Formats: sequence, structure tokens, C-alpha cells
Amino acid sequence: MSTSVTSSPQPQPKTQRPTKPRHGAKSLAAVVLLVAITIWAGIGVQVDLPAIAANWRNATTNIIQLLQPDYGFFPKTIPALLETLQMAVIATVIGSALSLPLAFLASRATNPRPKLLAGVRFVMNMIRSVPDILFASILVAVVGVGALSGIMALVLFNVGIIVKLVSESLDGEDAGAQEAALAAGASWPKANRAAMLPQILPSFASQVLYTFELNIRASTVIGLVGAGGLGILIDNVRSFFRYHELSLIILEILVLVLVLESLSAWLRKKLV
Amino acid sequence: MEHTAADIRFSDVSVTYPNGYTGLKNINLTIPAGEMVGIVGLSGAGKSTLIRTINGLVPITSGSINVGAHQLNGRGGTQLRGKDLRELRSNVGMVFQSFNLAKRTTVLNNVLMGRLYHSPAWRTLLGAWKNDDVELAMAALERVEIVPKAYEKASSLSGGQQQRVAIARTLAQRPQVILADEPVASLDPPTSHVVMRDLQRINAELGITVVVNLHFLDLARRYSDRLIGLRSGEVVFDGAGADADESVFENIYGRSLTAEDVLGNKAEL
Ligand SMILES: Nc1ncnc2c1ncn2[C@@H]1O[C@H](COP(=O)(O)OP(=O)(O)OP(=O)(O)O)[C@@H](O)[C@H]1O
Ligand SMILES: [Mg+2]
Repeated sequence: MSTSVTSSPQPQPKTQRPTKPRHGAKSLAAVVLLVAITIWAGIGVQVDLPAIAANWRNATTNIIQLLQPDYGFFPKTIPALLETLQMAVIATVIGSALSLPLAFLASRATNPRPKLLAGVRFVMNMIRSVPDILFASILVAVVGVGALSGIMALVLFNVGIIVKLVSESLDGEDAGAQEAALAAGASWPKANRAAMLPQILPSFASQVLYTFELNIRASTVIGLVGAGGLGILIDNVRSFFRYHELSLIILEILVLVLVLESLSAWLRKKLV
Repeated sequence: MEHTAADIRFSDVSVTYPNGYTGLKNINLTIPAGEMVGIVGLSGAGKSTLIRTINGLVPITSGSINVGAHQLNGRGGTQLRGKDLRELRSNVGMVFQSFNLAKRTTVLNNVLMGRLYHSPAWRTLLGAWKNDDVELAMAALERVEIVPKAYEKASSLSGGQQQRVAIARTLAQRPQVILADEPVASLDPPTSHVVMRDLQRINAELGITVVVNLHFLDLARRYSDRLIGLRSGEVVFDGAGADADESVFENIYGRSLTAEDVLGNKAEL
């Protein structure tokens, strides 16, 4: 193509070429809007630069303490550390088990009933729009302080994510085998089980590992509102300004997250 | 159990798609049990539509279709649905142009899909197939000579092998009828002949009715007892394959023939 253009004059086109649409005004408006929103947000939260500078003196002593973890505190953190890990494991298992059938109900490709589909999707969107820490606060109020409320919060958080991701991979999956199963007299659930499940199993497994990584991190945070694990411990030492101990806990979380994430990343690579 | 066959009867069948397009117009046809019928016509003539009405994948707008003891009706008539529709479908196997296998699972699991209608829900859920069903699936694979690959992933097979697995899947249904929608359109010429001969053998040895849409005239003439020509949703030819000469095909296609219309001597076997 390009050679013919250079070697001979451009031939007259048979049909008129459409003019390229212009987006200049729109882009400018978008930039202006973005800047305006940023300024509004800054004023709203009262970014007070002088105050930050004044606090800095105070902060330096704290930071120095944070840089010196109290390793002697380690034995006392073990139960909370284990609890965090257990919460993450249990929530991942329950969350994925609930998510798999829900994902089939939430995908257009596997659920032929429009009303049921819309209903399931609506509930899932609701669940996903609530932050995990909010679930935890509510559940702590309902079932009390401890790991149980934390696990329940994580399960809801997990269902929201896994159902979304797995139902999307179902939507994108080739439905040929499912059509063949239906044509052979299978009901929808049977056709989905036999023809669609094997196709999305690797992506499901990978989502499960990914949510496990998220759970390790989330389970430390939701503990801050009383939902079990290391978070409760963080809340305790922090309120007594025991920064050497806080420092150790943060270090532990860092190591835990890094180790488990690389383990899970390695496993996921083996899956696909 | 024997493969028993059933007649297929179209009575004044029309199909209008939801967008208003008429796919089939007043089709009257009887396909006796055990026949091997080829359907030819230009792209868009309604070949797929015709084949898909037989197992209810495309609902008919008016008229009725009888498949053995089952009857499919147009709008206003009693609709075959739920368990009754699934029972009809369990008697009718279907082969697709693009094979339609679940590629990430084994060949055997794909063939077992032909048993889904008969298998209890809990067995399907757990993947705990009855030994009888597994044996039936193996016997079906034997017919298309792919038994050694039973436990391999479907994706690891060649196109021709995948289509033969799809044929085995229909055999596992112990069907009365096999519908094939351009089963060789994605295959090279030698493989096309292998697959067509499989279908021919199944028709001859098991007495299963085979209705096959074909793109190439020479394949259609060679492998079918009877040819049906479609043009714009209407039957414009119905007769023995041997009677279909060039002028007949030019009438079906509404134009003169080209090299594109025959698979040709590209590979003579
Ligand atoms: N779901 C649908 N909705 C609307 N129109 C359709 C639908 N399916 C098919 N058609 C139209 O009906 C006509 C017949 O289609 P059909 O698929 O039966 O043709 P065909 O003979 O199988 O063609 P091909 O050789 O391309 O497969 C075509 O014009 C097609 O566009
Ligand atoms: Mg077609």
C-alpha cells in the first residue's frame, strides 16, 4: 500500500473521506472541570500546610520510635497474627464457595431468566458498593467484637469481588459447548456445569488466590474497628502510644503480606 | 437398546425472526426415518434456520413440525417446553461448524455431554458419571476412532478430530436424528471427506436420519441420498443427488457456478 503511494500520485478516492471529528472543546472543558474539582476538594478537607509543618517536630520523635521495633513484644502478637491468618483463610474458603453459584446466576451467558439476573446483579452491586471496613463496623455492632464479625465482613467483601470477576469471565466465554449441551437436551444448570464450569475454573482459582491476598491486608485493617486479628492489637498499642510495639506489628504485617502475596502470585502463574 | 428412527414432517412451516426478517416460507417436507439428506443453498438462504427448527433452537412462527412422537407448533399452538422440549432434543443430535467443544476439559467429558439429559442432577454436579454412560461414550468414540484420546484435553486435538468428537457426542445421545450445520466448513478437503464418511457410515449402519447443510455441491451430491435446495427461505429443489445437475444448482443459487462452489479435486481420495 505505502509503496504505491510513494511511487505514484495519490489516486482520486471513489468515495468522499469523512472529516475527523473534533474533540478540542470537550477536552478543554474536561480539564477545567478536573482542576475545579481538585481545588474544591482541597478547600473542603482544609489542607493546612503550616499545621503540617508544626506537627512535624512531634512526628519526628514518633517516627524515630517507629524505626525501632520492640522485638521482645513478638510472642504477645502471635495469637493475633494467627487469628488474622485464620480469618483470611476461612473467609476466602466460604466466600469463594458462595461466589461460584452466584457468579453463574449473575452472568447473562449462564442465566436465561432476565428478572433473576437483574435481581442477583442488583444485590451484588449493593454488596460491592459497601467498603469492607463499613461491613466490619456494622457487624461488630451486631454480632460483637471479635473474629466472627471480621470473617463475616470479609466474606461479604469477597463475594462482591469474586462474583463480579467470575461472572465477567463467564460473559466473555465462548458459549458453543453450552449451546451443544442444550441442543442435546440438557437443562440450563446441567449445561452450565458441564460446558461452562471447566472453561472458567482456572480464572476462578486465580480470583480466589487474589482475594486471599486482599483478605490478608483487609483483615488487619478491619481489626481496627474491633473485628478481630492484628487490627485490634494495633488499636490497643496505638491508644497507649506504644510506638515501638506498633512498629513491630507493622513489620509483621509487611512480612506476612509480602510472603503470602509472592506465594499466591507464584501459584497463580502455575494456573494459567 | 436399539437406535430407533423417526420421521420428520414439516407442515407449512414459516419462520419470521424478531426483526421481521422471514427466514423460512411455507416449508412442506417429509424426511423419512433413516434418510441421509443434504441441504444446499446460498449463504442466507435459510439452511441453518431450517435445521435449527427441528430441535427447537429456532422457534417456528407458523405451521408445525413433527419429529417422531413430538410436535413443535407455531405461535398460538401448544408450545413444547421444559422437560418435553428437552426430551425431543435428547433424541436429536447436533453437529456444528465450529465443533462447539468445551476445550479445557477432556474429550470424554465432552462426549458425556450427550448423556446430560439422562443423568441425574447430582451426578452431573459432582461429575460422577454412571459406568454405563462412560461405556456408552467410549463406544461412541470407538465409532469415530478416537478412543485413545479419551482423557486428553479437547483443545489438544486437530480440527478434524474435534469434529469427530462432536459426532461422538451426538452418538452418545443414542439419537434418532443427527443434524449437522456445515460440519466440514472449517476443515481441509481430506479431513472433510473423513468426517462426511463418518456421518455416512453412521447413517448406513445405525439407521440414524442425518440432515446435513453443505456448502460444496460436489460434497452434497456425493454424500446425500436426497438433496434439498433452498433459496430465500423456500424449497426450490427436492430430489435425488444424482438428478441435481449444473442447471439445477444454478437455479438454487440464482447464478452461474464458480470454482468456489466445489471442494473439487483439491484432494481426491
Ligand atoms: N437471529 C436472527 N435474527 C434475525 N435474522 C436472522 C437471525 N438468524 C438468521 N437470520 C437471517 O435469516 C436468513 C437465513 O439465515 P440462515 O442462517 O438460516 O442462513 P444459511 O443458509 O444458514 O446461511 P449461511 O450459509 O451463511 O450459514 C439470513 O438472511 C439471516 O440474516
Ligand atoms: Mg448457516
